[in-house]
Amino acid sequence: MPLLEIKNLSKNYEDKPILENITLSIEKGTIMGIIGPTGCGKTTLLRIIDLLEHPSSGKILFDGLDTSKSKKDRMEIRRRIGMVFQNPVVFNGTVFDNIHYGLNIRGQDKKSSRHKILELLKSLGLEGYEDQDASTLSGGETQRISLARALITQPDILLLDEPTANLDPVSTEKIEAIIEDLHQKKQTTMIIATHNLMQGQRLSDEIAILNKKIHQIGKPEEIFRTPKNKFVADFVGMENVIRGKAKKADHDLTLINLGGIVIYSSTPLEGGVYASIRPEDITVSNMKVRTSALNEFKGTVREIKDIGTLINLKVDLGEIFTVYMTKKSFLDLKITIGSQVWLQFKASAVHVFK
Amino acid sequence: MNEIVNGFFQAINLIVTLNPEVMEITLRTLEISLSSTFLGTLIAVPLGGLIYFRNFKGKRSVMNLIQTLYSLPTVLVGLLVFLLLSYQGPLGGLNLLFTPGGMIIGQTILILPIIIGFTITALKGVKGEIKDLSMSLGASEFQTIYTIMREAKYALLGAVILGFGRAISEVGVALMIGGNIRGFTRVITTTMSLETSKGNIELSIALGIILLTIALIINLLLNQIQEK
Repeated sequence: MPLLEIKNLSKNYEDKPILENITLSIEKGTIMGIIGPTGCGKTTLLRIIDLLEHPSSGKILFDGLDTSKSKKDRMEIRRRIGMVFQNPVVFNGTVFDNIHYGLNIRGQDKKSSRHKILELLKSLGLEGYEDQDASTLSGGETQRISLARALITQPDILLLDEPTANLDPVSTEKIEAIIEDLHQKKQTTMIIATHNLMQGQRLSDEIAILNKKIHQIGKPEEIFRTPKNKFVADFVGMENVIRGKAKKADHDLTLINLGGIVIYSSTPLEGGVYASIRPEDITVSNMKVRTSALNEFKGTVREIKDIGTLINLKVDLGEIFTVYMTKKSFLDLKITIGSQVWLQFKASAVHVFK
Repeated sequence: MNEIVNGFFQAINLIVTLNPEVMEITLRTLEISLSSTFLGTLIAVPLGGLIYFRNFKGKRSVMNLIQTLYSLPTVLVGLLVFLLLSYQGPLGGLNLLFTPGGMIIGQTILILPIIIGFTITALKGVKGEIKDLSMSLGASEFQTIYTIMREAKYALLGAVILGFGRAISEVGVALMIGGNIRGFTRVITTTMSLETSKGNIELSIALGIILLTIALIINLLLNQIQEK
């Protein structure tokens, strides 16, 4: 049984839809990354999961329990969920008082909690902070205190809303290391909402691309390689995404008319589609070559950009294609702006989606 | 001019020699105003909390009404409580008219709006995230409200002190409900008004200085609190 199951959840504010038909399930011990642009509904979704808000429709099952029950039941379930908010606030008082809060409302006094709190502070690299006034801490420290405050009650699931959005790189690294540690050593189940695709990919076992509705859920590499639609493709920074018309051809192949050129692909889709070819799947040469690649086109180099180890070229085939090549082959081919080059890619390298 | 200077020095003399009448009046004043502040706080802070935490129809109008009542004329409260406590009034049987108890009731009513209003303002000053945070950490509704109140404790104390300031400096209720009975309901403000009209300047000035000192202490306290 998944620890958390969300079924057909929607949320409107007045008549404005914020979340539409969200279905998600999270297994114990895994990290789910909820990734989407600012304003995509991430925070609202986390707040609903934390039972701070009610969904307009749909269901949330936590450990098999229906969360739409009475106030008291919701509080009991909420006590098993930890949340770290995007803009962390602290209660008046010391760091110790802040972390003790969750234990205090569960009836555990300061004395009996002391050892536990100091231990946790130590594990988060905050040893010796216990007597500091919490309002005097830096952003990164405050974020770690928030984490400690949520963790002290050992929640079954930890929700993190943009855990590093307002932090400098060093603090970000610390928080990410803590998250990874929790995942590996304690098998803490987590949901991390972030607009930062790379961070989501780094930390999560599975990611869900959210923009009001969930556009795609899957392993990070799956989403990066095979985005399901234009939104995901754009969001993951997919290049060479071109609108076209697909038509079945011989030998399990499909021809896609991209306007300027017609390419082969192995998609079963037909009609209006998007085709995308990853730049690294395209080879560049200065003459027509005999390869197994069915797609071969001649074009003109329009732009050359040095991006470190690679050279990024924009080649005009009627459509502008982005391709990468190594510095060595770039120099060997003596490419300049206006050069004529040939691009080759396999039919199977063409990723097609509606 | 000479009269004022003389009055002033005689007043100082009354204070430093701890004149029994001056001391008695001051103590009674403090007793009555502190009691009404205590009573007012007991009613107004929870009421202010209720208004702040609950959403109901007409909440805005209620807030407007409360703010209007900040400047509730003391004589109007005096009249109202007089009518309530007079022998023919609904609470006449309690025999509270012209007693310190009656004055406490009157002053309590007088300062309720100001404490309720500033309680709401104090609670509004607590970041909205605190509510989410405490709920998220597992607090019940009651624990959440308590947490927010605790976060606002200095501002709440400010509200209470403001109420006390209004109670101690008012004259309408004290005069109309207390009746200015010597040795029984006579407080600083009513004594000053009576003694001045009798030409007894030095006693008035002495009490004025004491009242001003109390106001100064209140202000210092408020400033201290607001700095936190």
